[in-house]
Amino acid sequence: MALGTDTEKKLDHLHWPLVICTLIICGLGVWNLASAAKNTIDPFALKQARWMLGGFVAMLVFLFVDYRWLQTLAWPGYFAALGLLAGVAFAGKKVLGARRWLQIGGAQLQPSEFVKLAVVVILARWFTRNETGVRKGHYGLFDLWQPFLLILIPVALIMKQPDLGTALVTFFIAMTMVMFAKVKWRDLFLMLASGVGASVLAWHKFLKDYQKQRVLTFLNPQAYAKGAGYHAIQSVIAVGSGQWSGKGWGEGTQSLLSFLPEQHTDFIFSVWSEEHGFMGGVLLIALYAFLVLAALDVAAKARDKFGSFLALGIAGLFFWHAFINMGMVSGVLPVVGVPLPLFSYGGSSVLADMLGVGILLNVSLRRFMF
Amino acid sequence: MLIRRDAEDIREIRPRAALGALVVVCAMLVLVVRLYQLQIVRGDEYVSQSIANFRKSLFVPADRGQIKDRNGRTLVDNRPSFDVFMTPAFCKGKERDETIDKLKDYLHLEAEDVARIKADYQKSWLSKDRLERFKPFLVELDIPRDQVDVVEAHKTEMSCVNLIPTPHRSYRAQQSLGHVLGYMSEVTPDEMDDHPEYRRGQTIGRRGIERRWEKELRGADGKQNIAVDAKGRELDKDTQEALIPEGERLVPATPGNNLILSIDERLQEAADAAFPGRAGAVVVLEAKTGFVLAMVSRPSYDPNKMSGRISRAELKAMNDDPLKPMLNRVMNENYHPGSTFKVVTSLAGLEAKKITADSTITCTGGYTLGNHRWRCDKPQGHGALNVKQALQHSCDAYYYALGDRLGLDAISDMAHRLGYGQPTGFDLGREIPGIIPDTASVIKVFGAYTRGHAINASIGQGEINVTPLQQAVAYAAIANGGHVWRPQIVERIESPDGKVLQEFKPEPDVGNGHNGEVGVRPQDLEAVRKGLVAVVNEPGGTAYRSKLSDVVFGGKTGTAQVVKLGGKQNLKTESQSYFSRDHAWFASFAPADDPEIVVVVLNEHGGWGAEAAAPAASKVVEAYFQLKRQKTGETVTASAAVH
Repeated sequence: MALGTDTEKKLDHLHWPLVICTLIICGLGVWNLASAAKNTIDPFALKQARWMLGGFVAMLVFLFVDYRWLQTLAWPGYFAALGLLAGVAFAGKKVLGARRWLQIGGAQLQPSEFVKLAVVVILARWFTRNETGVRKGHYGLFDLWQPFLLILIPVALIMKQPDLGTALVTFFIAMTMVMFAKVKWRDLFLMLASGVGASVLAWHKFLKDYQKQRVLTFLNPQAYAKGAGYHAIQSVIAVGSGQWSGKGWGEGTQSLLSFLPEQHTDFIFSVWSEEHGFMGGVLLIALYAFLVLAALDVAAKARDKFGSFLALGIAGLFFWHAFINMGMVSGVLPVVGVPLPLFSYGGSSVLADMLGVGILLNVSLRRFMF
Repeated sequence: MLIRRDAEDIREIRPRAALGALVVVCAMLVLVVRLYQLQIVRGDEYVSQSIANFRKSLFVPADRGQIKDRNGRTLVDNRPSFDVFMTPAFCKGKERDETIDKLKDYLHLEAEDVARIKADYQKSWLSKDRLERFKPFLVELDIPRDQVDVVEAHKTEMSCVNLIPTPHRSYRAQQSLGHVLGYMSEVTPDEMDDHPEYRRGQTIGRRGIERRWEKELRGADGKQNIAVDAKGRELDKDTQEALIPEGERLVPATPGNNLILSIDERLQEAADAAFPGRAGAVVVLEAKTGFVLAMVSRPSYDPNKMSGRISRAELKAMNDDPLKPMLNRVMNENYHPGSTFKVVTSLAGLEAKKITADSTITCTGGYTLGNHRWRCDKPQGHGALNVKQALQHSCDAYYYALGDRLGLDAISDMAHRLGYGQPTGFDLGREIPGIIPDTASVIKVFGAYTRGHAINASIGQGEINVTPLQQAVAYAAIANGGHVWRPQIVERIESPDGKVLQEFKPEPDVGNGHNGEVGVRPQDLEAVRKGLVAVVNEPGGTAYRSKLSDVVFGGKTGTAQVVKLGGKQNLKTESQSYFSRDHAWFASFAPADDPEIVVVVLNEHGGWGAEAAAPAASKVVEAYFQLKRQKTGETVTASAAVH
């Protein structure tokens, strides 16, 4: 078998809809960033495109490697991620009161973005290797202490930065994976209940004032119009004023005149909705829905448990990011700093997302082999 | 084997994956519904909110109306100038201190100004209304040209400081019109509560015409809509034009209306020049209409100074000045009228037929009642006098006797009918009523009425107090045949392009209780006028030395006692301390045969009326006719030029 036909075969088996969907989101993301950063000197769109290109190349290279090799990499990767988080805690760059970035040479790295991937991989490995579920036919709550420990250590470190949004998303991604393991529905409800209990505890013990403020603001934004609720209100104004078809590219007054906070990162979706309206918004929501559904599809069709769990984790990653971000921007969820995958500006997040897509493609590709 | 088991596991995952897909679709649908709600259902609302975000209204001040004299000479108009404002929100902490230091340097501010600026800054910063700090407050009004250049040059380093071009009031008329015109100063927060159309830092009329006619003069401010970014910075021209429709960019201001006063500025100048005293008043009225031609109240204030930058020290000096420069003596201070009041007693006597034009009363140098003797000016006595001669010589004894015959109430009644004892209705702010006692009020104050009260009142002493304006109204009534006019000073209101909006007609002073008429027989008024003409024009008349060669006019001198001096009255004016000297009065009308004007001069602590007031009135009369001749001359020349 010639190498050429092998590659050809691989190309045939590539999950093309997933690739095209990703490329569309990337393209729209860069185009939108060009508008959002229209009146700033930083060429955000250009930099973002470069990150995406880098991510794409990394993704392609990764396709040549069997994803099962990640099982070997799971533990080193997990510990490397924890090491980076610890590094952030001690040597991190402080921006706006939070240590979230590591300065590496000329580049800044946001380790928490990669921690999510590491958690997905280590959990996939655990659920693949652990025999308890198979033996008993299901997992009892106490059988899951190991994965919970694996989740909670990085989540706690991220909370410490503090970065409530990323911590929550990481936790949600992990919980999504747990839900797909053989856990009884009864136990899932029990977990949910204890989760509520834990959040009440967290409210009183661990949340910083500004974090509490954000939740309060979400519950009643008008009362905080000029203070913490300002972001929420301005974002909703931006989205709402887009109407059917939006104000047009580069014409959004809310973003153009800097009424939107963090408009090229967390609030990028309000820029999009303002300029492209309901039609643009629905298009983007559909693209993310497609991405997540494709990931679930990959999970369902994977040829082994590890691949399946990896795909589930990535599905969770895209779903929670997209849902929480768009929900926050349109005012259905409180303001927590969560990026919109492949849309928000940020190298670490773009790289992590591209790697996520790469994992999906890899898993879907490999089911036709061996 | 392992793979098979995996396959089973994955099969188990499938239903959960389907459920997951359902959850995903539902969650995304929630977002779609939310977008529909925001963008489609409430879209219009958010569009207007997003517009309100960047749209800021700058206010365009209206030009205040001009004030002109009856000949069209501009008394007050506006000149371009610059005010310095500061917006607290745009400079905080260290930047604030640096900015204030720079302003202090550039504008040569005093320590007290700096304290005021800091206090204003603090106040707006601490205000409950969070938007308050975005409202600029006034740092310094009307800065000189060279300071404008300095501030302009350092504009970029003081981002929270704005130079606002504001037309400022320019009082071109001389200072003697200060009390008439009033001045402008910044609106107070209380006033802004009552009148929301005023903005912080704007000025409002204080006193005089400026205050009374604020509504007419003010006009309506316009609005300029501009687009700003989230930090309140104005956007460039192209963006402005893209964001704000052309029709909404500017709502032009409506300038205020112009006021044409009845004042003749040149006569005002003449009156001010003629007045010799440190303090007092000159009032010139049109005898047949009640319109004010000139009105001097000395000392006055400089409206330019009051409207601009007057320091606290200067204000304090004015407040502490014993001559009270802020007091309008024409209408807000009252004095004993002294002998000028004898016209009232005369008219009351003639009406009650206690005297006739020809009947006489003999002066023996005084009038005795019981064991008290009221002295006349002439100790050896004037002999037998009729009313004309009594006025001419200002014989006190004649009036003591007449007053005693009349009783206080007859004098009081005649005084009220002539316009004394109640406000004249002059429409220029607060006016005091003066005091005209009657038996009831005397009993109230003194416990009992004695004939002595009427005797004192007969020569304008005792409790009687009048304002110079009331004197002018009363003498005008005597001169014009008995019409008591409400004094007026605004002849008409014109729109900025000169259209007459409102014209004012003479109005009777109905406050006199007789519909603005004195209600005495014409021959009685004639008898009094004859006496007043004799005062000036016949030898022995108290104002004979103020006689004019070309105009025959009449008048009455008055010397109002300020301090009771006991027996000896003939102290030389110069030998008394200023505040115990008598007030000098002269109330007059001209010309004698068909009176056109009334001139009242009050020289506060000036001494003798004949010396310290009559000559000034005479000069004013002379000036009036000179100006009149000039005017008719001009008209003649003008019509000659047409032919």
